[in-house]
Amino acid sequence: MVAGFFKTMAAGTRHSTIAVLAAAALLGGCASGDTGANEPWDPLETPNRFIFSINRAVDIIAIRPIAVLYRDWMPAPAQRGVHNVLDNLGEPVTAINEVVQGDPSRAATTMARFLVNSTIGLAGIFDVATSFGLTHTKEGAGNTVGYYAGVEPENGGFYMVLPLAGPSNARDAAGLMADYAVDPFRILTFALNVDWLLYSGPRWGATVVDVRSRTLYALDDLEKNSVDYYAALRSAYTQQRADIIRQKREKTDSRSELQRRDNLALVR
Amino acid sequence: MQLASRRAVLCLAVAALAAPAQAANSPAAALIEKAANEVIALIKAKTGRDREAGIRAILVAYFDLPFMGQSALGTHWAAASAPQRERFLKAVASAEARAYSERFGRYGGQTLAVGRVSTRPNGVTMVDSKLSQSNGQPITIQWELRDAGQGLRITDVKIEGVSMVMTRRSDFNSYIQNHGGKVEPLIEELEKRAAN
Repeated sequence: MVAGFFKTMAAGTRHSTIAVLAAAALLGGCASGDTGANEPWDPLETPNRFIFSINRAVDIIAIRPIAVLYRDWMPAPAQRGVHNVLDNLGEPVTAINEVVQGDPSRAATTMARFLVNSTIGLAGIFDVATSFGLTHTKEGAGNTVGYYAGVEPENGGFYMVLPLAGPSNARDAAGLMADYAVDPFRILTFALNVDWLLYSGPRWGATVVDVRSRTLYALDDLEKNSVDYYAALRSAYTQQRADIIRQKREKTDSRSELQRRDNLALVR
Repeated sequence: MQLASRRAVLCLAVAALAAPAQAANSPAAALIEKAANEVIALIKAKTGRDREAGIRAILVAYFDLPFMGQSALGTHWAAASAPQRERFLKAVASAEARAYSERFGRYGGQTLAVGRVSTRPNGVTMVDSKLSQSNGQPITIQWELRDAGQGLRITDVKIEGVSMVMTRRSDFNSYIQNHGGKVEPLIEELEKRAAN
């Protein structure tokens, strides 16, 4: 099912550049008077809630139980190995984004990591690069758009719930498509007509289990301690994405998080 | 791997060294450390209902629960009547006690290293801290403290950039809007949850 979803996304990749530009234009539209205290913009709330409930049913029936089994029964080194392999497969996309973000030296470090881990680290199972002092970063086109968009990072365009992939917004969904379009592994396996059972199926399957097993605790907490889980997740997602993008901007941007919180206190 | 862990240990050591120096001149950092130590002692000694009661006592002592509740209700606070406000704050306090009791209950073997303390012109103090886990990445936790007449109190906790108060505010706001824009259904829901 996951593979199916990403295949349909492949059909849409040609439009992804347009989508990115459209997202950037949307983002640029509403810059003034934004204190970050507003609720996330959610004009598609009704369809979003519908997809959210389907996602939740699929999660309860299939994904969550698998993730729990995986977390509790898979040996920790094996879990770390799977996570490392997935991280390693994501390095080229991270490097491309770091170049676009104007940080080629960081991109070089990422590519060095990729070369070291793919060879000495046995196809990425072992993260030897970190012990060489090459630290891990993860970047996506969503971060890149957020980095350049001149708005509060809480404002990522309209909020949307993607089938299976879960919470997202215009910025991050467009980012996902752009990342998929430029992913060298995706391009290579498409060009060589590699069967999806050999590459994309296992990769996305493992990604779902890995991500879900890592978010088990946080999402259970959120669900238990909210009266409207949909709204709580929407808020938490928006805040966390904003935090990541704000940290990227911090180096160059003088509008800091603390200033934003001062504004917030005034609103309150 | 070894080098990495050695570096992590070094970082922690530096953080541990830096913390007392800041704690000496910052009451905010001292407060966070004192609260963390109390929580650790409580988790070791008690379980179940006793733990929840203990956590509740710590919350009342260190957190400004009325302020957090009022922030979480946002603009709907003004629309609520005085008895409604009182009931709401009571229900939210027990919801918070239960939530933090569970969150802190998982606290075992980790260490909280208090870092930078920054005071803002509007009287808000932010304390950065890192919760290091035995496996995986450390978790960034930011504490927001205010002094509203009764000494310095914690008014918000941000875990990995996600503010607990902001999330609750969004949550409550949506619930109220989906229930005719009235505060009453939310209070009833919270009271029902507090009862079980």
